[in-house]
Amino acid sequence: MTHTTKVEGRSRWQRLLLAGLVAMGLLTAAACTQQPTVTVKKFVIGASAEPASMDVTTSPSAAGPQVMLYNVYETLVRIDGDGKMRPMLAQSWDISADGRVYTFHINPAATFASGTKVTGSAVVKSQDKLRSDAATTTVLRTQLADVATVTAPDDATVVFTLKNPSQNWLYYMTSTAGIVFDPTLIGEAATKSAGSGPYAWTAWNKGSSVVLTKNAKYWGTAPRFDEVTFRYFTDANALNAAMLAGDLDVISNVQAPEALSQFSDTSKYTVLDGATNGEVTMGFNHQSPALQNQNVRKAITMAIDRAALIKTVWAGKGQLIGSMAVPTDPYYVDLANAVPFNVAEAKALLASSGVAMPTLRIRVPALAYATKSAQFVASALNEIGIKTTVDELPFPATWLDQVYKNGDYDITIVAHVEPRDINKFADPTYYWHYNNPAFQALIAKADTEPTEAAWLADMADAQKVLTDDAAAVWLFMLPNLVVTKNTVTGLSPNAVTLSFDLTGVARR
Amino acid sequence: MKRFTLVVGLVLVCSVVLTALVSLVWTPFDPIRVVAADALLKPGWPHLLGTDAFGIDIVSRLMIGAQTTLQVGIIAVSIAAVVGVPLGVLAGQGSGWVSEVVMRASDVVYAFPALLLAILFAAAFGGSTWTAMAAIGIATIPAFARVARAGTLHVMASDYVLAARSCGTSRMGIAVRHVMPNIAPLIGVQASVAFATAILAEAGLSFLGLGTRPPTPTWGRMLRDAQNLLFGDPLQSLWPGLAIALAVLGFNLLGDGLRDYLDPQLREVS
Repeated sequence: MTHTTKVEGRSRWQRLLLAGLVAMGLLTAAACTQQPTVTVKKFVIGASAEPASMDVTTSPSAAGPQVMLYNVYETLVRIDGDGKMRPMLAQSWDISADGRVYTFHINPAATFASGTKVTGSAVVKSQDKLRSDAATTTVLRTQLADVATVTAPDDATVVFTLKNPSQNWLYYMTSTAGIVFDPTLIGEAATKSAGSGPYAWTAWNKGSSVVLTKNAKYWGTAPRFDEVTFRYFTDANALNAAMLAGDLDVISNVQAPEALSQFSDTSKYTVLDGATNGEVTMGFNHQSPALQNQNVRKAITMAIDRAALIKTVWAGKGQLIGSMAVPTDPYYVDLANAVPFNVAEAKALLASSGVAMPTLRIRVPALAYATKSAQFVASALNEIGIKTTVDELPFPATWLDQVYKNGDYDITIVAHVEPRDINKFADPTYYWHYNNPAFQALIAKADTEPTEAAWLADMADAQKVLTDDAAAVWLFMLPNLVVTKNTVTGLSPNAVTLSFDLTGVARR
Repeated sequence: MKRFTLVVGLVLVCSVVLTALVSLVWTPFDPIRVVAADALLKPGWPHLLGTDAFGIDIVSRLMIGAQTTLQVGIIAVSIAAVVGVPLGVLAGQGSGWVSEVVMRASDVVYAFPALLLAILFAAAFGGSTWTAMAAIGIATIPAFARVARAGTLHVMASDYVLAARSCGTSRMGIAVRHVMPNIAPLIGVQASVAFATAILAEAGLSFLGLGTRPPTPTWGRMLRDAQNLLFGDPLQSLWPGLAIALAVLGFNLLGDGLRDYLDPQLREVS
């Protein structure tokens, strides 16, 4: 009995072995028939701030649009790398003579990633979502406040009627406010990709990365990569190290410019040094009695050698500016040297103001550019006899609470990265508490000007008003420092929109 | 060999103390004034160790940094000793439940690392030298309480304490006249070791931006400022790192040396 079993057992093993061998052989044969040449083209971007939500209209963070805008979601019109207005979903648009009615003609080829056509009614539904969704950010609500009605007379046309002419509105439409959602997925924008762009987002690994996958049915020029990953690093050195290790194709914005020398090997890396919308603004609290005196503010401005500050604080990268505008703004006026560095004159001006200077509290967010600038400014103010204390507050929570909300500071330093944000100075409730009725009137007049030329003239005047009044000290324009592998092409050196625009990017 | 440990420790500690004292009246350059044109100079003359990114003389900053280091060490260790030692003596002398309460409470505090406590304090009261000192001090209390209790138990078991008690000397009297003098060497050793820990903790806090406020120079902060220059200009990180390492080494060696020197049992063995 045992003997028989043994024989049976052995034969079973032999059969199993044979079956296994046959199966392996079949698998190998099958594998050989596949083309081994198919490679997935991947592109990896290193960035510092992660989106707070995948529905970018519900969070004011710039990290969301960096990934989504123009890559996953498209707008009727867009801004290119030189700051020029270009068609996107709309192939053309007309503006009525009174500047109130905008008619957009939608590109008939345009489709969403789901295959649905982009129509006028999709635009209407997207605008309705922004206006009715309680989660829509206040910034977007303000931008869309001028819109009276949005209608779609037919599939290829959408008509916006404004309450009053607005020079800013069309510009807002190139960004988050102008996103067109897929109407079949519009309610699920926080969890599903609902765009018409060249990529669709397919994974959000919180705390680590966002993955975009090629939209195979893209209506425009086909995307060049199969998969694009935005990887997030909270530590600037870790970001640089990942690039040096070859894990990244691009660093989207270098946070430690003094470490740029690591990428000086041009046979491996390309360093782009362009413009951003970020004004590093040393804001005065206009409620502090000593800082209400214009001469005191001017003296402080003169006391700071901003050219030296850029060298010390941001490794000489960045550009001198003199008001709340950057060179890529259409209305930019060069006021960088309107109030030149002059210690002697600063001292004289301070003395003539007759103000007994208290110890000023410089309270800055604990971010590299701010803490270093604060140290520089404290030393510079000491030279003209103004004593200061410096507080570094955790950002964003503590800084937002104490400085931004409660106004508990004399001087603070923050980079204002939103595009065209000069109008913040027209809001006396904003944390600077700058209250200049003449400036407020000028900004209001500018937006409703009937012609672009008149608007540009008003905006130029507005910048001069701020500089003459020393409303703040604009330390420098944050540079857009991008490091790429030298095989990467097509990235714009300027970051004039919130988007990290992948549409022109390729790899040799 | 034991003397050697003590001497090296003493030399290192004395040089930190001397540097701090000298910096009270003199530094080669202004340790706060930014001189942009002199940024990142290499070691040479007149800047012996070069300058930092703000063009400030590194020697001058290191000298002022020694002040902060000693200040934090002295105050944090004082807080810990002044609270911890009486608690330890009380626990060593007292009845079972007093001892239990004191020691279990110290276990609870022991569970929080000094750095964690300091981060908590910085979040609640804002980062400053004072919150750092208080946090490091409080976190070090249990170490002193334990050492003091162990020493007290030892002394309380001796015949002379028995004699004193039989003469009717009060508990307080015994603590002051017999316990304290006998455990003083132990506390001294503990203080020296705790000082080293306090220096490291303060440097760590300043490195994280939770310690001493700028522009006052500290070694931890100098390290933080040098961090991004690690590849471009590694010497920037070397100097403050070396200062911290030598100061910590000095206090640790001093503690070890003192223990060996003062402990009669160890002396007999050798």
